[in-house]
Amino acid sequence: MFAPCVVGGDAAPILNNDFLRSLNASLSDHISLDVLEDKVKRSKRRLLNLLSKVGGWHSWSSLSSLNIIAVLFGSWIAEGYAMGVERLVVVSKGHAAPSVYSWLVEMGVIKESELEDFATPWSRLQSHLDALRLPGIVVYSTGSLGQGLSIANGIAIASKIDSIRREVAVLLGDGELDEGQVWEAIATASALKLDNVIAIIDRNMVQHTGFTEKVKPKEPLAAKFNSFGWYVLEVINNVKTIHSGLRTLSSINGKPKALIVRSNRRW
Amino acid sequence: MVIIVYSGSFRKAFGEALVEAGYLNEDIIVLDADTPKSTWTKLFANTFPHRFINVGISEQDLVSTAAGLAIAGKIPVVAGFSMFLMRGWEQIRNTISRDHLNVKIVGTHSGLSDYMDGASHQCFEDIALMRVLPGFIVLVPGDEIATRKIVLEALLEHKGPVYIRLGRDNAPKIYDEFEEFPIGKLKIIEDPGDIVLFSNGFTLGLALEVANELKRHGISAGVADVYTVKPLDKDGIIKLSKKVNLVVAIEDHSIYGGLGSAIAEVLSESYPKRILRIGIRDEFGVSARSFSQLIEYLGFTPVNIALKIIEVYA
Repeated sequence: MFAPCVVGGDAAPILNNDFLRSLNASLSDHISLDVLEDKVKRSKRRLLNLLSKVGGWHSWSSLSSLNIIAVLFGSWIAEGYAMGVERLVVVSKGHAAPSVYSWLVEMGVIKESELEDFATPWSRLQSHLDALRLPGIVVYSTGSLGQGLSIANGIAIASKIDSIRREVAVLLGDGELDEGQVWEAIATASALKLDNVIAIIDRNMVQHTGFTEKVKPKEPLAAKFNSFGWYVLEVINNVKTIHSGLRTLSSINGKPKALIVRSNRRW
Repeated sequence: MVIIVYSGSFRKAFGEALVEAGYLNEDIIVLDADTPKSTWTKLFANTFPHRFINVGISEQDLVSTAAGLAIAGKIPVVAGFSMFLMRGWEQIRNTISRDHLNVKIVGTHSGLSDYMDGASHQCFEDIALMRVLPGFIVLVPGDEIATRKIVLEALLEHKGPVYIRLGRDNAPKIYDEFEEFPIGKLKIIEDPGDIVLFSNGFTLGLALEVANELKRHGISAGVADVYTVKPLDKDGIIKLSKKVNLVVAIEDHSIYGGLGSAIAEVLSESYPKRILRIGIRDEFGVSARSFSQLIEYLGFTPVNIALKIIEVYA
């Protein structure tokens, strides 16, 4: 017999979840960037340890996303809260889940010991982020690439209809940009002038088979986003540059925004 | 003598019901992929322009954007040709079904209804694809009144993902306005005799005509409207099947995975009984100048179907 697994929630809107509200409040303590960097270092050790237990499952992808995840969850949400803006993180590259879990331990949202159960049937920490098992933290259940930006657009549209000050950041992989749906969503965000959407591209230069430009060239990436009517900023992959990049983007209005985060080293 | 008139329009009834629902619930948001003129979501778009989104010709984005709206607490209604909504099936599966989001998906132009467009547009696979998804409700109204009632029920009363399969025009006139359509029940239109005909959608009208044709051959056939394909009214199916010598399912869908399959699954598990499935047999559609030309070409006429049934029954 199979153990019962979670099939369907109760169709309650995830964003109206009380848990999310309490979580947002608890995530909202300001941390200095130096402290954040220290926490990232600890998370990275934790992450490497976790990945070593699962045969290095998507390790490059998790490692290159860690700085971004740390800035988003550790500072961007909190800064928004202080300004009266509800900020949400949509992780579209769901295979970076180990990175998210390692960071959430640092924030005290999940227990260190829980990582032992990562990817086991009884754990909330599924291989790919699962919204029903981690409601409030995970906006939608992932694993299938290319859908997060469309979902973020939907949330952004609803926020505009309801006049709610809400910003949605979407973490995308660079390999994920091969999915045609991403470009459909890029066009939609531009057509609807969704300036409450921020796409963050983890430009780690690798996808499953290897070097991105060898598999299917992504460059000139910034120009592509530009040509679709997006405001684009490129930064190198470290906590301080990602943080300042996001701060710059928050002052841009009238169009959707992209932050291309370039890795300049092997992880 | 039963005379069925196919003068209704599923999509028009849908468009009007959407506006009605829009007035009753402000959270209803309608999304379309550049087909508002065809799906009749144009009525909603004109009435509530700020609650209507045309994402352009991009069905995958359409489906996932709706998922985002549901996550934010809205009641998104996704409309499109059933064939092309299936282009977003994986998105429907992996987000709407998995996270049990309150998204209503309405596929128009299903089955044979899009006679002119031919093989690319005539969708015989949508019920199979949608009823396999955990948590989904699958509804197939048989006429305009059923369409209105079922759309209102799905949008205003039911919480969770729903797929509604609609034809284009050529809707039979079957029900009066006082008829109710609770989710999960079938409706007996003619009491069963020697045979029972299970059907839904436009073919419900056809089933009534077939029953009439069979009567001329001395065979009494009951007709039941299985407007809820999922969750199927198992008790209702078994109860009716026990009364007859042959069970027949009629649908303008593939015989694989559709209503006939769903009924066969129930019967073979709980009450083994011979079943004849009338539907599309492992093939694609074709262009026709008129609905009746297509129906005749494919042998989907009352006389033809009655003969097939007699062949098996005799």
